Amino acid sequence: MNLQISTPTDTTIVLTRTFQAPRRLVWEAMTDPARMRCWMLPPPGFVLTVCEVEPRVGGALRLAWKSGDADPAMTLEGVFTEFAPHERMVHTEVMKLGSGELAGSLLELHEFAEQGGVTTMRITQTYDSKDARDGAIASGMDQGMEAGYQQLDALLAA
Amino acid sequence: MVSVDRSPRLDLVFHALAHPARRAIVRQLSNGERNLSELAAPLNMTFPAATKHVRVLEGARLVRRRVVGRQHLCRLHAAPLKEAMLWTEQFRRNWEARFDALDTLLDEMKAAP
Repeated sequence: MNLQISTPTDTTIVLTRTFQAPRRLVWEAMTDPARMRCWMLPPPGFVLTVCEVEPRVGGALRLAWKSGDADPAMTLEGVFTEFAPHERMVHTEVMKLGSGELAGSLLELHEFAEQGGVTTMRITQTYDSKDARDGAIASGMDQGMEAGYQQLDALLAA
Repeated sequence: MVSVDRSPRLDLVFHALAHPARRAIVRQLSNGERNLSELAAPLNMTFPAATKHVRVLEGARLVRRRVVGRQHLCRLHAAPLKEAMLWTEQFRRNWEARFDALDTLLDEMKAAP
């Protein structure tokens, strides 16, 4: 499969994926809010309401989701600590529930390399602790369950 | 939007695994049957606190308990629930879905004048 996921240390997750497009376009898709809205699929039952990017070092990243029960239901705020167009960006990321309760924080590094019109993007997520890293994987499981739950159900019944 | 067709049983499983102490218990039990004291000790947890977590896991049918004399022995049910495979597989699905959407977007961007 094209997407590779690894956990090289106790606190990191590394995702590597290639795209059949020049990195200029991949970069734009990753940093332009209008483009981001097209691919940042919200968890089932959620709607992405805020998507703002200040494209510079020290600039802010702001995302918010609402659900039928809460507005906002979840927010993500970060600050860019590196921003080298088409090559590399780093931002902090703090996720909070609508109540303000902290849901997680991490540092995310994006690296882009292009060869022959194909772009390889590598995302390195660094969490505060192993439990936080494992928790992110577990909550990802929750969000993804709609797609995979029949398979899961079969597993659990086994 | 994907239709939300939730299985109450799976909600219990996800809830049960959403707590680090309970994941630690699942990890311990993946090595074999343990009594409640053995489960509580490495978590620096009181016996009642550990019992509470085990009850949540029991509710999700991830753990089964049997009483032998004065010991409460716990063992993992749903052995196929292997941490690495299951957790990373679902995490992968989320990102794969996003990146598939990104592929579609990039095709549109390439086609645009």
